[in-house]
Amino acid sequence: MSKRFVCLRNQIPANGMLECEAEGLKLLVANSGDRYFAYQAMCPHQDVPLCEGMYDGSVLTCHQHLWQWDIRTGAAIGLAEAPLESFSVQVEGDSIYVVAQGALKAAELFVGISAPSLAAIMALAKKEEFSAGSALYDFGDPSDDFFVLESGRVEFLIGRDERLSPAGFMLRKGEVFGWAALLENQPQRIARATCLEQSQLLRINGKQTLQVLENDPASGYLVMRRLSSLIARYLASSGSK
Amino acid sequence: MRVQLNARNRAYQFQTEPGARILYGGLAAGIHLPYECGSGTCGTCKARLVAGEIDDLWPAAAGRKFLKQPGEFLMCQCVARSDCALEVANFVYPIDPGACTPAFGRGIVSSTKMLTHDVISFSVALDTPLDFDAGQFVVMQMPGVPGFRGYSMVNFERASQRLDFVVKKKPGGGASEWLFKGGADGQQVEFFGPLGAATFLPNLDKNILCIAGGSGIAGMMSILARAGEARYFDAYSGYVFFGVRTYRDIFYLDQLARLAREFPDKLKVTIALSDEDVPERALQEHPALKFDQGMVHEVAARHMQGQYQNVRAYLAGPPPCVDSAIRMLLLQAKLAAENIRYDKFS
Repeated sequence: MSKRFVCLRNQIPANGMLECEAEGLKLLVANSGDRYFAYQAMCPHQDVPLCEGMYDGSVLTCHQHLWQWDIRTGAAIGLAEAPLESFSVQVEGDSIYVVAQGALKAAELFVGISAPSLAAIMALAKKEEFSAGSALYDFGDPSDDFFVLESGRVEFLIGRDERLSPAGFMLRKGEVFGWAALLENQPQRIARATCLEQSQLLRINGKQTLQVLENDPASGYLVMRRLSSLIARYLASSGSK
Repeated sequence: MRVQLNARNRAYQFQTEPGARILYGGLAAGIHLPYECGSGTCGTCKARLVAGEIDDLWPAAAGRKFLKQPGEFLMCQCVARSDCALEVANFVYPIDPGACTPAFGRGIVSSTKMLTHDVISFSVALDTPLDFDAGQFVVMQMPGVPGFRGYSMVNFERASQRLDFVVKKKPGGGASEWLFKGGADGQQVEFFGPLGAATFLPNLDKNILCIAGGSGIAGMMSILARAGEARYFDAYSGYVFFGVRTYRDIFYLDQLARLAREFPDKLKVTIALSDEDVPERALQEHPALKFDQGMVHEVAARHMQGQYQNVRAYLAGPPPCVDSAIRMLLLQAKLAAENIRYDKFS
């Protein structure tokens, strides 16, 4: 996505927010101190307009089920189960422009890691496009690469032979799957992954990513913590929220 | 009918009885499907039909305004006509082993009693005892009135053989009119429950703040009954704010005063009158209670200043009352969202 004009600075109240439309794209633009941030306009939970929510200059809350985000990063806090898709903001004079971020920047798995490591992982990523119905991988395939969803939708099946059962689906930009590639002793796929719609993905080699993270243990620690909570979300119960 | 539910993290399968709503079927099977009101207003239980056929029992449900994509429907209002496959764009987990799994039940209405000019209380004597947590509700179907409506239990005990409820008169509300026209005692009602996440357990380890408008006090009475029985207010503070329009709209004052007298140091009960000044006789008649003038969330904000450490808030009442209280607690009191509990239904 190229640079788009969104609104004028004086349209956004101090420590306030406004829903804007930029060439057909709906965005929430928020001010915090001397900075501006732009996010998807609708709550990722149930498509409720975020501009109807609450914002105190640092935390954005959707009024419907109290999902919350850090306005500086779009990271989920409290009850929220998904981050907000953020757009990079450029302020030129009185005008605010946005540019869409790549899927890797939207990936929760890599939030907060050092810029050189992110760039190194970005350099490993191959952009691939799949038509609806195409298989990404099957049971027993080598699990060399993991994937980051850019757009589209991927579904998973587990089981054997005729006893196949759906095992979830991915639909948000930045969602990571095939993470067996980042684990030890998980050389084979245990699920079948299929693109249900025309989908754009980033394919990233697991071993090479782990090498990047080994050279930057602080970032590696962050990624492994995030990966373990990601896996726990698929295995565990809801906990006592 | 066989229902296959595809969630973000995994799939589930369950059976629904003919005519039974998909939400209730899934919850009864121990699957924690997303829901909040269970009665067609909030839109939280939206799902998308992938295969099969469903019937919508209430195409005019208010919660349908949250449906955006083709094929979306409310699980609380739809029945599977054939075997179905659905998709819910949430992570869905089994119901926690310790929680009360909801089920269908029946009971006989008894003890209907007018508490004020427009508030009625009634009990339902159960066929089978029901376990529920303090603060939960059931959805109930009155004879001859279409659809289920949510009502919070007022009482609390384990393996309860009787559920107590309180209802405010709502002109045009089928269930409310059925109760208020008289003759409900002795009639059989059907319900599904217990439901709701705004629950109190005595191992909470937090001070509790209850903000209720009108008949929203119901769930608070259950929470206070549980807390009182566990002598929770020997160790933790309780702040109760009960909002009504005028002094003649108040009910449960004797019960609230009794609790306030039992825990004079830790339990503070304040009655907020939105539409009139506090009459002098209020304090004479109820010296154990406090009274103040204003909307209940404003009164709570005034009295709670500086007392939000380690607080879990419970909210109930008409939606504008709950919304104002949420706003106040998040923005002024800076309470974390996970410590604000409510189930919006009405």
